[in-house]
Amino acid sequence: MSEIILRDVSKTYDNGYQAIHQIDLTVREGEFMVVVGPSGCGKSTLLRMVAGLETVSDGEISIGGEVVNDFTPGERDLAMVFQNYALYPHMTVEKNIAYSLRLRKLSGQEIQRRVTEAAEILSLTDYLKQRPGRLSGGQRQRVAMGRAIVREPKAFLMDEPLSNLDAKLRVQMRSEILQIQRRVGVATLYVTHDQVEAMTMGDRVTVLRAGVLQQVDTAQTLYDRPHNVFVASFVGSPSMNLLYATLNGDGTRLQVGSQSLAVSAETFVRRPTLRAYVGREVIVGIRPEDLTLEGAGETLVGRIGHIEALGSELIVHFGLDARNYVVEDKGGSAEEVEELLEETALTQHVRNVARVAPRSSVTTGDAVPFHVSMERAHFFDLSTGESIW
Amino acid sequence: MAVTSTVAPLRRRRSRRSVPWGAYSLLAVFTILFLFPVYYLIIGSFETPSEALNGIQAAAPTHLTLANYHSLSQEFFSSTITGSLRGFYTVSTLVSLIVVAGGLVVNSLAGYALARMKFRGHRTLLLLVIVLVIIPFQAIAVPLYYMLSGMRNTVVVQALPFIGSAFSIYLFYTFFLNLPPQLEEAARIDGAGPWRTFLQIILPNAKPAFASVAILSFIQIWSSYLWPLMMTSQPNVYPLSIAIGNLVKQQSTPNYGEMFAFGVLLVVPMAAFFLVFQRWFIRSVASLAVKG
Amino acid sequence: MATLTTQLPQRRRRRVWTESRVGLTMLIPGIGLIVIFMLIPFFYSIWLSLHVEIVGSNIPIRSVGLLFYRHLFSDPIFRGVFLKSLENNGIFALVVVPIQTGLAMFLAILVNRQGAFVKFCRTTFFLPVVFPMVLTSLIWKAILAPGPAGMLNAVLRIITFGHFSPQYWLGNVHLALPSIILLSVWQGTGFQMVIFLAGLQGIPPSHYEAALIDGANRWQLFRDVTLPGLRNTTIFVVMVTTIFSLQLFDQVYLLTQGGPLNATSSVMYLAVSQAYVANNVGQGAAISVVLCFIILLLSLIQRQVLRERVD
Repeated sequence: MSEIILRDVSKTYDNGYQAIHQIDLTVREGEFMVVVGPSGCGKSTLLRMVAGLETVSDGEISIGGEVVNDFTPGERDLAMVFQNYALYPHMTVEKNIAYSLRLRKLSGQEIQRRVTEAAEILSLTDYLKQRPGRLSGGQRQRVAMGRAIVREPKAFLMDEPLSNLDAKLRVQMRSEILQIQRRVGVATLYVTHDQVEAMTMGDRVTVLRAGVLQQVDTAQTLYDRPHNVFVASFVGSPSMNLLYATLNGDGTRLQVGSQSLAVSAETFVRRPTLRAYVGREVIVGIRPEDLTLEGAGETLVGRIGHIEALGSELIVHFGLDARNYVVEDKGGSAEEVEELLEETALTQHVRNVARVAPRSSVTTGDAVPFHVSMERAHFFDLSTGESIW
Repeated sequence: MAVTSTVAPLRRRRSRRSVPWGAYSLLAVFTILFLFPVYYLIIGSFETPSEALNGIQAAAPTHLTLANYHSLSQEFFSSTITGSLRGFYTVSTLVSLIVVAGGLVVNSLAGYALARMKFRGHRTLLLLVIVLVIIPFQAIAVPLYYMLSGMRNTVVVQALPFIGSAFSIYLFYTFFLNLPPQLEEAARIDGAGPWRTFLQIILPNAKPAFASVAILSFIQIWSSYLWPLMMTSQPNVYPLSIAIGNLVKQQSTPNYGEMFAFGVLLVVPMAAFFLVFQRWFIRSVASLAVKG
Repeated sequence: MATLTTQLPQRRRRRVWTESRVGLTMLIPGIGLIVIFMLIPFFYSIWLSLHVEIVGSNIPIRSVGLLFYRHLFSDPIFRGVFLKSLENNGIFALVVVPIQTGLAMFLAILVNRQGAFVKFCRTTFFLPVVFPMVLTSLIWKAILAPGPAGMLNAVLRIITFGHFSPQYWLGNVHLALPSIILLSVWQGTGFQMVIFLAGLQGIPPSHYEAALIDGANRWQLFRDVTLPGLRNTTIFVVMVTTIFSLQLFDQVYLLTQGGPLNATSSVMYLAVSQAYVANNVGQGAAISVVLCFIILLLSLIQRQVLRERVD
């Protein structure tokens, strides 16, 4: 039993590109840790460094208390599940699962026992003599899992293992993977770009952006108390509405475009640092479910764009006469952000989203007042993007 | 497999119409033109010298005789001044075996290392291989002849320059480059070292590449003429191609019947091999197009 | 902890060393062989072309500079032979390349369908590829035999109802090279046909479907879908055929020995006969080097053409 500890880990490629910036991360014993981020954020690189498939430029990776920087992947005693499964096409399911055990010179009996057990857990018993080419996507996924669990490794590494499956199977495999991980109880590092997968599966979730660690927390904490505007917008679907706003001189009102919202004294109690922003421009973040059509309190009037009826709720897109803040995936240059903002200035009329009760009477083109739950609004520093608490 | 299927929409169009007689008759004409020399070779090998070269009558399957094969079979076991047929066969087989088997080993390893291993001078080596693919053997045959003249009249020297092949290395290189690296990564995580990975994981999944290279190098070495011509002057080390070449070249009044029988014997191993593994032959040639 | 950190650098060195050692071990046999048997001979041929060596004598080897290269273009006797050989190669390439490429593409389109008969045709067209040039030469020597007994003469006589007078195909200054071309095309077309066939299979069916929906007829399908789809294949085939045709040797040596009156002499034949038969090593080497550079130049052009396509 062991934990994975990354200390100050960096990766710089030969061409000078730095993919990973000084990451500190601990995956505890038995913990299911999900690393999530937009494509190209370096999450796969991070996983491959732990696996030993990429060298570590700087820092230390230890597994089970042993620094493994110079261990071969084989010596690290990890199991890995690849996005395309990487099953050996020329071996039967049985041989695929048993391969690592044969390399470690386990007795035939022991191999037989472990393979049988894994096959039972994964309901693969009937397929043991088949080649992977004849299996369905879900079955291949299970074989890959079987290959991982028979080893009884120190840790599991999974690189987007569900992204080649269709939506329904994906939901099913999510819970299967979780069950198996609980059963085996080893530290697991799971990489995905899908934030729903991250939120539903991870004991804790690591958010990565452009090789820089943003926040490590439970899914609920990430949602409720994001460290910065990137995490706030990345976590949650549809994502948080982000608007430029100004706290007025006495801190009682928040000016959003031509409209304004009352700010209660309680808000400053909950977020003491916000005091320092009185009279300044900030970014205000409002989750789509914190905008309602019925209810009391402050409202923002928006013009309704298109409406998505999901049955259980309505996703209403609407425009405000306030500027939206746009979060870029990568830490792009200031000019790029500026350009993007100018573009969006022209199309900003439908950039906001509200989740409202089904069968609400809303019509495209209407100007409608949305009630804002101000006590659940988020505030971010305009220059750093950090949350204001 | 890909070669045998047809472009779908054309086929669908066709099947709704009648049989494409135009295309079929064109095909028939070209097939006769292409097949005729082969037919002539086989028929002629069963004819007496005077019949084998007798205008259009030579093509008629009359008065067939096994005499040519009979005399060749006697020659097969009796060593004469001109060497024994069995000897020619042995040399050709040995040389082909050395080149094909040795070539598969050294070229696949080099192609693999170029495709997967990281080391200094990688780009330079790759460039070297590509340039050497372009240089034809004939262009370096003369200096090579001077370098290896001490080994003349041996079997080994006939094979030696062809074992390492820039072309085969390049074919293997492109094949391995297109193989998903995850297979090897999975093997490394399972604890396999580079050699074991190559033998147990890569090799079983590279059969098409091995078959292509084996077939192409077999065609080439079995047919090679210039090099054994330069390197052999004694009949006991002649390969088949030289033995026949001497007949083609020297005889002023050739005995075509016997030469044809000899020729049939030269091509039979290759043709049989081709007809059995036709799909692989065609695929291996088709794989060259990827190179562009 | 202290022991760990002292061990670390050692471990790392071992690891890197092992990795590169495995790579080197895999590379050395193959690369070593092509360096010894291709690269070194190539440089050796350049050296040979700049020196005079009288084989079997004690006269010391002497550097002669570019003498052998000047010979090629200025020696009154030799120049003629060399330029004639170069011209023959040029004619051979100019005739063989379009005929063989066109025929191969035509046949590939014809056999790009299913059925037992078509499969038989495909096999037939490819069969000569496995025929060694020695055997091809043997068969065609009989077909092209002089006098009424020769097969080609006899067939042409029948087709023309007796109006055709027998020709000495390989002995006639005007007919020898075309004869060599004829048998070369017979032997080589199947090879190119299969490459074209692979190219045809590589054209996505949806391209044909889109064109059909746009109302294209069969000729338009060929012109607007098939031909553009085969562009790269065609460039490849043309270049390979060109390079092959510059290497023309076996059939010339076997059937005509360059004759009659150098009508079929090729650059490669000249190089070999100079070095091997006439014992004029330097001259043979110089011809080889010139040929190598011509081929390298053509390959560079090919790369350039292909790259333009990508851009």
